[in-house]
Amino acid sequence: MKSYVMGIDFGSTTAKTVILDLKGKVVVSCVAHMGAVSGEGVKASTEGALKQAGLTQADIGRTVSTGYGRRMLDIADKNFTEITCHARGAVTMVPEARLVIDIGGQDSKVISVDANGLVAQFAMNDRCAAGTGKFLEVLARAMEIRLEDMGDVALAAKEKLKISSMCATFAETEVISLLAEGQTKPDVLGAVHAAIASRTIGLVGRVGKKGPVVMTGGVAKNPAAVHYIQEALGMPLILPGDPQTAGALGAALIALDDYRSEHKAELAAMEEDGIEAQMAEDKACVPGCRGNPTAAPKKGLLGALGF
Amino acid sequence: MPTSEEILARLARIAEDPNRYAEAWKKARGRKVIGTFPMNFPLELVHAAGALPVVVQESGQPITLGRTLLFEFYCGYTRSLTDQAMTGQMEVFDAFFLVDHCVALLGAADAMRFELTDKPIFLAQYMASMDEAWNVPEIRKQIDLLRAQLEEFCGVTITDAAIAHSIRLYNRNRQLLRHLYDLRRAGRIRITAGQMQVLVKSSMVMDVEEHTSLLADYLAALEQENGFGEDLVKLHLSGHFCHAPPIALLDMIESCGAVVVDDDLFAGFRYISTDVPETGDPADGLTRWYFDRNTNVPCSTQAQKTVDWETYLVKSLEKSGAEGVIILMAKFCEPHMLYYPELRKELDRCGVPHLLIETEHLGLPLEQLRTRVEALLERVSRGAVASPAPARHLQPHP
Repeated sequence: MKSYVMGIDFGSTTAKTVILDLKGKVVVSCVAHMGAVSGEGVKASTEGALKQAGLTQADIGRTVSTGYGRRMLDIADKNFTEITCHARGAVTMVPEARLVIDIGGQDSKVISVDANGLVAQFAMNDRCAAGTGKFLEVLARAMEIRLEDMGDVALAAKEKLKISSMCATFAETEVISLLAEGQTKPDVLGAVHAAIASRTIGLVGRVGKKGPVVMTGGVAKNPAAVHYIQEALGMPLILPGDPQTAGALGAALIALDDYRSEHKAELAAMEEDGIEAQMAEDKACVPGCRGNPTAAPKKGLLGALGF
Repeated sequence: MPTSEEILARLARIAEDPNRYAEAWKKARGRKVIGTFPMNFPLELVHAAGALPVVVQESGQPITLGRTLLFEFYCGYTRSLTDQAMTGQMEVFDAFFLVDHCVALLGAADAMRFELTDKPIFLAQYMASMDEAWNVPEIRKQIDLLRAQLEEFCGVTITDAAIAHSIRLYNRNRQLLRHLYDLRRAGRIRITAGQMQVLVKSSMVMDVEEHTSLLADYLAALEQENGFGEDLVKLHLSGHFCHAPPIALLDMIESCGAVVVDDDLFAGFRYISTDVPETGDPADGLTRWYFDRNTNVPCSTQAQKTVDWETYLVKSLEKSGAEGVIILMAKFCEPHMLYYPELRKELDRCGVPHLLIETEHLGLPLEQLRTRVEALLERVSRGAVASPAPARHLQPHP
């Protein structure tokens, strides 16, 4: 039996990998930026994660993929949609969350979840990129500003301007027009983020507003997007430490469920061994210790988990 | 005896290009081809006049010249009708008959009237107030009006006997199609949603006797099955008025691990749900049919206090064992769009997983839609077996 499972979120612009041990503890997570649904990018992410954890693919018992490219991964045993995986991952990161707002590179989604991280209802953006990371990317280019700087600049907005939330192409034209009118960059960027917020609130309306709300996805790292969505929602957003990896974490957890249920008997035996080992540990420094604890043979669950 | 696949392939070719079939029919019979519009027109009247009634279908061609007469916010079907009229795709039709149920369709009929000056377009105003006693004689009056217009246009007398004969033929056709639905609901045959659409859509455009004969052969050639695969999620497809949703979409839905066991689509069960009474005055029978159809499969284009679509939908799920619903809605279909919140509310109240997919005239982002369909199926499957690893056991790093 193997000791680790892996979840891969093969997204439209980034690839995220999470490796868990059999207790569900995150061993490593890795985010790789890439071109659109890039095989190289996802390879960089999985290889990076394995390298950081000091593992090889052979150490992984089960791999589940999610995201746009989920069906393109040969190393995945199963694939699940980003809806299911983001819900599971987000509720694990923030157990009290009942609504997940995820804004990624190419799509935005709002998912209503139950206490087990199961999806109750969901809504996604249509094929239009308005209200997604792509929307910000297009407008960053139009305004000659780095994507990662947009949020901070937008927070300095003083005037409340309005731009269309319907279409990235229309919005770009409107942005150019506002700049030509002499509006400041922070004010225009404030309007851009407010447009994303109004689009997001439309999706929230489709599944029903409830809280607590967790925000995941790359756009959760943008402080202005968070600010404007909170303002439009009238509720605080809970931000997990690593919002981009929620989908990969959810995929890894589903892999863990499957793997544990497939190896129930072995795990139960190991749990017993673990208890025996723990009992032995209570009496001696390390089970099987013959004066050199670090060289003692590793046994049972603790050994299997690398302790 | 042809195989079921061969019969289906033939029907699929006709459903795909009904105008070609109508041209061949016209050439062979030397009689008129009359276009009718969804969703309530009694084809029996046209048949009784000796003409071929064809429910005019959406074309698979992009909208070009049609853009000049109808705005983008009209539904794909009405925009396609206008475009077909402006691009010479309606040559085979001698006239058009419609009974009203939608303002967008009336707009398209006006656009066609403007464009096709040599082809008469007849409209009968059917009232949508199904509970009002005065509406029964009103509908009867409209049927008499249609009958008189058809007699004049076709140069024939439409006798009661001819209407009664046509009613029997169409009832037989509907009965065979409903039998297929019953077998599919019971899991005794496997007909994909796309195949069912072909069977129903071809019945809208073909000579009824020829279609019935092919249906009988198809039923005889079908192999019995013993239920669906255990791992397939059973779905009900709902909605999509007036025209057929793209078969590629239906195929994609079933390729995600689902099996469609029932529907209330117009190019589906809604179209064939109800027979016309075969006894009594046949025109009264056609009148009764208008009211009975809405009782059997309620429609949001009609107002009836005693029935509603959402109750019908939930009961249908109980009958078919469907575990989830996909609501297919043509973009900008106002009668459907305005009623959708009622459907959603009831499905939520009953805990039925559901998904809304809007269709457009051309161009479907199938891969994006696949994600939504798969998420719905995962919701059904994973919802049935709750996660064995509770969230609190898990320890993500800070």
